[in-house]
Amino acid sequence: MSSAKEPLLKLTGITKHFKNLTAVNGINLEVQPGEKLVIIGPSGSGKSTLLRSINLLEEIDDGTITFEGHQVGYVTRLGKRHLDKPHQICALRAEIGMVFQHFHLFPHMTVLGNVMEGPLTVQKKTREEARQTAVDMLAKVGLSDKRDVFPATLSGGQKQRVAIARALAMRPKLMLFDEPTSALDPELVGEVFDTIHSLADEGMTMLIVTHHMGFARELADRVIFMESGRFLAEGTPQEFFCKSQDNERIRGFLNRLL
Amino acid sequence: MRYLISRAAAALLFLCIFAGTSLAATDYDQLFRQSSDLMVQGDLEGSLKLLKQVPAPAPGDDGSAFVSSRMQAARIYSSQGTPEAAMEACREVLKLFPDNSEARNLLTALEKQQKPRWHTILADCLRFLPALAKGATMTLLLVFCTMLISPLGGLLIALGRISTFRPVSALCWFIIWFFRGTPLLLQLFFIYYGLPALGITLAPLTAAVIGLGLNYSAYLGEIIRGAIQSIDHGQMEAAKAIGMTYGQAMRRVIIPQTYKRLMPPIGNEFIALIKDTALVSTIAMVELMRSADQLFNTYFNITALVLAALIYLVLTTIFTFIFEKIEYRAGIYEQR
Ligand SMILES: Nc1ncnc2c1ncn2[C@@H]1O[C@H](COP(=O)(O)OP(=O)(O)OP(=O)(O)O)[C@@H](O)[C@H]1O
Ligand SMILES: [Mg+2]
Repeated sequence: MSSAKEPLLKLTGITKHFKNLTAVNGINLEVQPGEKLVIIGPSGSGKSTLLRSINLLEEIDDGTITFEGHQVGYVTRLGKRHLDKPHQICALRAEIGMVFQHFHLFPHMTVLGNVMEGPLTVQKKTREEARQTAVDMLAKVGLSDKRDVFPATLSGGQKQRVAIARALAMRPKLMLFDEPTSALDPELVGEVFDTIHSLADEGMTMLIVTHHMGFARELADRVIFMESGRFLAEGTPQEFFCKSQDNERIRGFLNRLL
Repeated sequence: MRYLISRAAAALLFLCIFAGTSLAATDYDQLFRQSSDLMVQGDLEGSLKLLKQVPAPAPGDDGSAFVSSRMQAARIYSSQGTPEAAMEACREVLKLFPDNSEARNLLTALEKQQKPRWHTILADCLRFLPALAKGATMTLLLVFCTMLISPLGGLLIALGRISTFRPVSALCWFIIWFFRGTPLLLQLFFIYYGLPALGITLAPLTAAVIGLGLNYSAYLGEIIRGAIQSIDHGQMEAAKAIGMTYGQAMRRVIIPQTYKRLMPPIGNEFIALIKDTALVSTIAMVELMRSADQLFNTYFNITALVLAALIYLVLTTIFTFIFEKIEYRAGIYEQR
C-alpha cells in the first residue's frame, strides 16, 4: 500500500451555486495525511463554502468528495445525485472536526459539558469515558481550570480553544478551521494560534482559512490562494510569498493585508 | 231649635265625615293609578310627588293608603339609587305602624346594603367557600391536564411546522390555523355537542381537556416554533459538525436553549388558561366560575362573585411567581 501517497481527502470538481452565483467553481484538491493547508483569499471568494462542503454542511451541486479512499456524502439514484443517508453523513462529520469563526459553543452546557457532548451523544461513550476524554482535551488546550464554568464567562480566545477541544474530543482525522481568529481581539489571537500549532506538531491534518499571513507562512505546508470560487495559485509558503508576487491579484491582496 | 241645630250639625258632620272618607278613598285610588302611570312613563319625580300627597292618618284611623304610598315611594327611591330617602320613607311608616313587616324588611335590607357588616361578609364567605373550593379544584384539574398536554402537543406541532416534509408541515399549519382562528367556546361546543352526531360521545371532563389541550397546543406550537427558530443557526451547525443527527441536535442543543425564551410567553398562556377554563362551564362542567354563578343566582349575593375573583387572582399570582422562578433558573447559564 502506498499509504504515504494515498490522500486523506480528495476533492474533484466541487461546484456550489447560490441562485445565479457560483460560490465554488470546480475545485480539485488532494490533502495528504498530516498535511497543513492554508487557504487565503478575499472576502466572498468561496473559502467558507468550500470548507462547509467538505463536511456536508453545504450540499454541493457537482463534484465528488473522497475521504480515506471512499466517495462520501452523495449517492446516485436513477441517474440523479442525492445526499447520502443521514447516518452516513453523520458518520463522516464525526471524523472531520470543524472550528467556526464565531465558536458556536453550546451556551447551556458547561465547558466540560461542551467537550463531552460529542463522545457522549454521538459516539455513545459512557459518561466516565466521555468525561476522561474531555478532561484530556481541555488539558491539551490549557483550560483545565475552566471545566465547570459556562461559556458566557470565557474570553473569546478561551471560547475558541474550548471549541477546538470540542472538535478534538471526537478524535477527528481532519480538522477544518474557518477563520478561527477573525472574531478575536488581536491580543487573544496568539493563544489560539499556539493551540493550533501544538495540534500541527502532533501531526493532525488541517485545512485552515485565515487572513493572518504570518501564521500561514509559519505553519503551512501548502498555501492556496482562492478567488471567485477557484484556486488561483498554490505552493509552499516560500514559493507562494516570494514567487506569487508577480501575480497582480495576489500581490494586491497581500499588500492590502500586510 | 237647639235640638234641631244639634241634629243638623250632627247630620252635617256625619255627612261630611262620610262624604270625606268615601271621597278620600276614591281619590287615593285615582292617585295611585296616576302615580303608577307616571312611573310607567318614566316620570319618577311626578310619581313621587303624588304619593307624598297622601297624609299621615289620624291616630286610630285606617292607614293602608298611607302605608302603600310610602312603601311605593321607598321602592322608587331605592330603585333610583337614593337608599337614604327610601329608608326615611320606611321609618315614616314604622313610626306609626311599628309592626309593619314590609317596611321593617325593606329597611333591614337597605341598612344591610348601606354598610355591610364584616361578620355578615365573613359568614357569607364561609358559607360559599366549600362550593367555590370544589369548583376551584376542578379548575385546577383542568389547568394541570392542559399544562401537561399542551407543551408536548405544542412541541410536536412546532417540529412538524419546521419539518421539510411537506405533508407534515401542512397538517401542522392547518391545526394552528384552525384552532387559533376559531373561538375556544365554539371548539368546546363542537367537541361536546357536535361529536355525538358522529357517534363519539365524550364525558364533559374529557371533552373539556381535549378542547383546551388542542387549543393550547396550537398556541404553544407557534410559540415554540418561534423560540426554536430564534436560536442562532450556528448552534445547529456546530451540533451537526460534531456528527449529531437532526434529532440529537434538537434534543440536546436547540430545544434546551429555548426554555428561557419560552417561559414568559408560556407563562402568559397558562395564566390565560386559568381564566379560559371558565368557558367549560358551558359544556356542563362545574368549575370555579360556574360555582360562583350558581351561588350568585341562589343567594343574589355579590360576595360569591368577589370570592371567585379573589381565588382566580390567587391562582394567577401563584403561577406568575412560579414562572418567574423557572425563567430565572432556565437562563442561569447566561450569567457572567
Ligand atoms: N447561504 C448562502 N446563500 C446565498 N449566498 C451565499 C450563501 N453562503 C455564501 N453565499 C455567497 O457565496 C459567496 C462565497 O461565500 P463564502 O462565505 O464562501 O466566502 P468566504 O471566502 O468565506 O468569505 P469571507 O472571507 O468573507 O468569509 C459569497 O458571495 C456569499 O455571498
Ligand atoms: Mg468565510
